[in-house]
Amino acid sequence: MRLLGGVYEGPGSHGILRLAASMRGVHAVLRAGPGEGYFPALYSGRERDGRPAPVTLSPLHEGRRESYAPGDLPRDLSGVARRHPGVEAVILARSEAALLSGEAVPEFPAPGADGGGPAPITCDWQTPGMGETEAAELALEDLVRAHAGAKLERTQYPTVNLFGPPVFGPGAGAEYDEAERLLNLVGVEVNARVPLGATVEDLRRLPRAWASVLLYREVGESATLFLQDEHGIGRVTTPMIGAAGTGAALRAVGEACELDPRFVDRTVWSELSRTSKLPWYARLERPEAFAGRRAAVFGDFTYPLGLGYALAREVGLDVAACGTYLVHLERDFLFHAQTFTEGGFVEDDPQKVAGRIEAVRPGLIVGTELEAPIAEALDVPLLPLCYPAGDRPFVERPLMGYGGSSILADRLDEALG
Amino acid sequence: MTILNESGIPDVLPPLHAVNGLAQRLPGALVIVAGTRAEAHLVRSLSPALPDPRVTFAVLDPDDPPQQGQLAGLAVEAAGRGTELVLLVCGRTASSLGVDAAFEARLAARKLDLPVGAVDSDAPYPTPGVLSTDLEDRVLAALVGLCPKRRTSELVEAASQAKRGGLFGLRGRGREEATGQGRPVVLLGAALSPGSVAGLVAELARTGVEVSGAVPDVGGAGLPPVGEGTVVGVLDPNLGTAADASRDRGARVVRTLLPIGVDGTARFLQDVAAEAGAGSSEVVRARSVWEELGALRNRVRGKRIFFAGDTGFEVPLARFLADAGAVVLEVGAPRLDRRFLSEELQTLGPGVDVVVSPDWRGQLQRIEAARPDVVVASPGLYAPLVARGHLCRPPRDFVRAGLHGYEGARRVLELLAKTFDRAEALDALSL
Repeated sequence: MRLLGGVYEGPGSHGILRLAASMRGVHAVLRAGPGEGYFPALYSGRERDGRPAPVTLSPLHEGRRESYAPGDLPRDLSGVARRHPGVEAVILARSEAALLSGEAVPEFPAPGADGGGPAPITCDWQTPGMGETEAAELALEDLVRAHAGAKLERTQYPTVNLFGPPVFGPGAGAEYDEAERLLNLVGVEVNARVPLGATVEDLRRLPRAWASVLLYREVGESATLFLQDEHGIGRVTTPMIGAAGTGAALRAVGEACELDPRFVDRTVWSELSRTSKLPWYARLERPEAFAGRRAAVFGDFTYPLGLGYALAREVGLDVAACGTYLVHLERDFLFHAQTFTEGGFVEDDPQKVAGRIEAVRPGLIVGTELEAPIAEALDVPLLPLCYPAGDRPFVERPLMGYGGSSILADRLDEALG
Repeated sequence: MTILNESGIPDVLPPLHAVNGLAQRLPGALVIVAGTRAEAHLVRSLSPALPDPRVTFAVLDPDDPPQQGQLAGLAVEAAGRGTELVLLVCGRTASSLGVDAAFEARLAARKLDLPVGAVDSDAPYPTPGVLSTDLEDRVLAALVGLCPKRRTSELVEAASQAKRGGLFGLRGRGREEATGQGRPVVLLGAALSPGSVAGLVAELARTGVEVSGAVPDVGGAGLPPVGEGTVVGVLDPNLGTAADASRDRGARVVRTLLPIGVDGTARFLQDVAAEAGAGSSEVVRARSVWEELGALRNRVRGKRIFFAGDTGFEVPLARFLADAGAVVLEVGAPRLDRRFLSEELQTLGPGVDVVVSPDWRGQLQRIEAARPDVVVASPGLYAPLVARGHLCRPPRDFVRAGLHGYEGARRVLELLAKTFDRAEALDALSL
């Protein structure tokens, strides 16, 4: 038992619900206490797109068995497809209260055995204590496993699958748009965007792509590994953050899609000269503007690593601390972080994170909304660029790609003065 | 009035969302939410960006359940110098992991020498369902448990001394009309409605009743004694457990309408005064208030209102607005305690349908079919309804505005009038 001032991640069920709400035609059944259904309110307040959250609550301990009141899990699961005609996939998320109650997951007949739709994805790997990111990753793998079509031929022209962040990720939709814009420039089309906006039909045709571009490794890792192992689809895992990261990712895509490397290079140079302003910002400012200025970066996985690398190598700041709250990715994170900082750390207690940040006495904090108190206490600028971020803009701005690097340059210019 | 049970899944904000608001309302209180990551995430997600530092989370590890007394130890560790009261909020997950909240609270109280209340946020109600304001009820029940307990004779003495001291600075108004009040009066509720209690205290003083205190306390006056013979006036429709806790202490909980709306306030004042032994009639005052509200009533007269809220305040609000001339199409009640709200339900007009456990999809369909002028909508339905072109208002706005008493009635009508004005102004724009 620990005393915490807050948590970075929600429970596993929240990750599954985020994933389901990201996609179209996927409906989640949340098995939870009657007072735990906060996702619709959160979705309504954060996304503000006017779509009701595709979540149905199956209340624990409340179903009066003699009546047709909700609470009977098998009946609630089967009722979802009936009540929501457009639903093609149903996924079960169990809250920690449901997991701790020891209730067994009901068994369902094999897909199509009873002539009905596909069996619900029950996520029977859920355990109490699992974080939302890990659960979202495993749930996406389950969805891809259940729906990816077998023996599909790859497309005639080069296409890739984009595996990006789910709903609530800061600027999630804009990240996909920017990545797709750049891929189109090098002559590669997007076969499917997963999970944001993906339909079950998109999942079916995932094996047609030539490669998978992993924009947000936290959620797409297992699904892309499955596609690689079962369907031979290669992966591009370089984070598309900063000008260097974006260029490396585009060149890797070019290689995977058998493109002419000179054409990819020409596109990269053209974008560097027209769109990407981060290298210009780094060159235009005096070296003293960055030298010796310490920055602390904290967040999920892709963003702190990508931003940390860009700040350290491209801008020239001293990234004195770079951390993640994703404890299950500890080894991976520390391995990548050591390439640009000696201050890599893994911590999920906001107070201890604040302690680590305070210890390096930074002049800039790039983090989540939970770093706001420490930024205020130290009186240093905070760029809340990592999930969970409190702002909810109507117009999303990317951080990935060349467009994103220019936005990063603007934010840095504003913060560093 | 018809009551239907739809046996559906209503859209209800989890009661735990109110932790931050309650912590701000209780100065000097430290709130410890014990549970897993889920509870901490829920509270953080539904709170403002910078949550109250007096709310802290005891996050339990499901693989390593806590030992007895460990939570009390953490409470001692977390309590700072300014802490006057500790509330241990434990839900279903904490009890699944073997936390005995009442025991931990007793232990922490002994170690800290401070009042420590145990709040079970998931304890079942006699009637099925959940309201987003349930935590308020539980916290108030815990506070009632922490009130000093004295015998009637002492209470009467204390009340007369308090009268001389002038509670809430309102002594002067009540004095001249005081008519030998027999029992001390305590107001219970309006935790998240600022100004409500002070307004009602003033109204009661006008009728000759001095209020000996309120739960939660107002202006740092401290918790009043609640015990045998205390007259408790319940202000909110969701306070079943808190009212029961007062009754268990021997207090007399007044069975009357809630002080929401003009007639509700008049009945409340009259019945509380009668119970306290200071009879008065509110008929003249109520009539004059209705007359004063004439212009505002004209703004809501004939407007069709659909209540799809989750706070429990919808039933008395519907009663008031129907009396004010609005057409109430439906009142959704995620949980309806018919016994506790019997007076309210009896007073609801004949044309009002109450739907218990409404299904949110059914509500959306009925709203689409009825096209009401305004929907009082729960947070999950708010954006989808606005996207479908409906005019919405969250029920929390009414609660925050302070809907109790005669002034509260005015504020409710003003809030609705403002809503209509704003919608008309936006509709008039040529985009």
